[in-house]
Amino acid sequence: MWFIISAVVILVGITGYFIQGGFNLGIDFLGGSLMEVEFTRDVNVSEIREVMEDIGFGNTILQKTADDRFIVRTIPIDIKTKNMILESLDKEIGINRPPVQDRSVFPGFGRQIAKYALIAIGISILGILIYVWIRFEFRFGATAIVALVHDVLVTLGVYAISNREINTATIAAILTILGYSLNDTIVVFDRIRENTPAARKLGYSQIVNDSVNKTLTRSINTSVTTLFPVILLLTLGSPALKDFAFALAIGIISGTYSSIFFASPILVAWNNKFPRYKK
Amino acid sequence: MRNKKLHTAVIVIFLAIIAVCLYYICIKNSIDSSIELGLDLKGGTQIILKPVNVGEEKITPESLDKAKLIIMDRIDKLGISEPLVTRDYSDNIIIQLPGVDDPNRALEVIGKTAQLEFRVLSGYFVSQEGIVPINSDSGQLYIDAEEKEIFLTDPSTGGAFGELAADPETGELLLAGIVGGEEKILGKLTNNPETGELLLAGIETGEIAGEILTNSRTGGASLVGPVLMTGDKLSKAMAGYDGSGRIIVSMSFTSEGQKIFEEITSENIGEQLAIVLDDEIKSAPVIRTAISGDAVIEGIDSLDEAKDIALVLQTGALPVSLKIEESSTVGPTLGKDALTKGLYAGIIGFVLIMLFMLAYYRGLGFVSVIGLVIYILIFWGIISGIGAALTLPGIAGIILTIGMAVDANVIIYERIKEEVKKGKSVRISINEGFKNGIRTIIDANVTTLITSAALYRFGTGPIRGFAVTLSLGIIISMMTSLILIRSILFLIAGNEKLATPGFLGVRRKGSSI
Repeated sequence: MWFIISAVVILVGITGYFIQGGFNLGIDFLGGSLMEVEFTRDVNVSEIREVMEDIGFGNTILQKTADDRFIVRTIPIDIKTKNMILESLDKEIGINRPPVQDRSVFPGFGRQIAKYALIAIGISILGILIYVWIRFEFRFGATAIVALVHDVLVTLGVYAISNREINTATIAAILTILGYSLNDTIVVFDRIRENTPAARKLGYSQIVNDSVNKTLTRSINTSVTTLFPVILLLTLGSPALKDFAFALAIGIISGTYSSIFFASPILVAWNNKFPRYKK
Repeated sequence: MRNKKLHTAVIVIFLAIIAVCLYYICIKNSIDSSIELGLDLKGGTQIILKPVNVGEEKITPESLDKAKLIIMDRIDKLGISEPLVTRDYSDNIIIQLPGVDDPNRALEVIGKTAQLEFRVLSGYFVSQEGIVPINSDSGQLYIDAEEKEIFLTDPSTGGAFGELAADPETGELLLAGIVGGEEKILGKLTNNPETGELLLAGIETGEIAGEILTNSRTGGASLVGPVLMTGDKLSKAMAGYDGSGRIIVSMSFTSEGQKIFEEITSENIGEQLAIVLDDEIKSAPVIRTAISGDAVIEGIDSLDEAKDIALVLQTGALPVSLKIEESSTVGPTLGKDALTKGLYAGIIGFVLIMLFMLAYYRGLGFVSVIGLVIYILIFWGIISGIGAALTLPGIAGIILTIGMAVDANVIIYERIKEEVKKGKSVRISINEGFKNGIRTIIDANVTTLITSAALYRFGTGPIRGFAVTLSLGIIISMMTSLILIRSILFLIAGNEKLATPGFLGVRRKGSSI
């Protein structure tokens, strides 16, 4: 029954992915140039767009930041073109130079980042599987990985629905979620491992249930203490920190949920199908 | 009693560690500048250059190291202070320039290959409309010969001696010319598939007879012959003005270079010598006599540009071609803002955690607050001591580890409480709690360490910073909670007055009535 909640959340995420037409990828992945410009007077988006249209950059993405600055995002452009854009904005509206932030990523680089991120995820999953296998049992390792995939899917799903931008920081956050969620799962598994000898008398599902209950306070307390600073970062942080904290917050919630309601039931189901201990 | 001595010793050792950390934070580095800030926090420019395969150049660790040195030399000559040039795992060269307001000049100079070539100029391509530009389609250069006639003209007389025509069968552009009164096909235009360079090749043999390059002054396509000499025979390059006030870069050669230069100029008297820098013809003086001394590059727009050219020529050509993959400039205000906000979030988060732990675990909570303060001091001290740069993701990593550092305490305290509820004495409960909790903590943290090791190995700059803070945090928090807090608790357990169930935040059944 708990699986259904997870399945629904993930399905909603996948639907969101298709409705939004894919993820909102940042220039880290798509390539492009981004300038954060501070104007010398109050302007609105349409005014800036007019200037950009005049110089042939009509399809520029313009975004107002919390500090009343504007993010101007274009296709990857060279220094000369960048200077030309700044020149025009300065002449027509007036800006402070140099721009607060100025980034260019050329397409292809993102593919490299994505490739290495995938390698990092693959290697951590493999390393974790082997470690948990050695310290516990194979089924614990496999279940932990399933729980991890669950958390990553939930996080990506929320990104798809909310249409938040995915950048390098998001990838780092997702990798951290892997670590955090695992931490949670291992604590519960450790209890199950400890109590397993009693399974002969009480049955495995009872053991798992007891273990989850025994570790429940810890799971909740740790999530709360970890969420305190993360949520503060989400409300007080700079835009880049907010992005990071957003992914972490979802990951922490999903990680706690999955270790309690997702990973443990899988262990029970696994034992029901391939009994090793008394059901 | 022996145990008591051991635990006191542990506390003394930790006090010593804290003293060392405080020394680094407050005295060695002074508290305000105790932590080195990454570029994203203090402002500056980061450029990532990726080597690209061009022709026969091989990308080897040696050539990359040499390129790194040349780039450092160029940055030095630009007068930028504290540059950091590093290589990453995938052959990229990463350049960090702190506090550079206008990185454009650095960008122009750093990645320039500075490949200088001397070749004979064979002719200019012209059409009725004037010059013929070289176009580029996904990296492959081409000349658009549709709907216009394009002629190859002699550079000195201006007379046409060849014409471009499309082969009706293959669509390839052929160069036809008059040789000895007879019209002949001189060659075909072809691309080097790897570099996209536009070449003139023999029609049957495919042998490369020349290359079509852009003349930087006119913007038009020109045909040049094979490379006669390269810039590695250069001994000096200087920007300045010539006799008539034009901006030039004058170049002197090594003695070997002088000999070769004399040879090629004496063999090509009457021809124009194309001076090609990074595949652009910079100037093409007519060779009147054999020259053994200096050569000059003309046709430069500004003295700054001349200085840049002299600088890159002086520091030598890069052994590999580099492409700018990413450039990122952050102004100092943006970073400062992020730092302050991150700090506020951290402090408030810390206070909330403190209150939560005190409210929930009472005396034990107080011990963990002490542990947390020590954790932060040691963390701070290590970052300060090893001089690691704190980046934006690093802040996020630290804030996350503060929350997680409490976890080890929570696991142990819950275990202790369980034992107390079973009716065991406080002393035995503490002992049992640690014994049961230690395995969980190690297993849970080792798995997180595996993830952060993978992050470090395969992450780029900022992600690496995050991985470092995350693993550092995990190791320190394990140390403080498993060793220090353990000793503190055991000492407390030995004290009858302190070691009450209330201290543990447990109300034993019956005792509250």
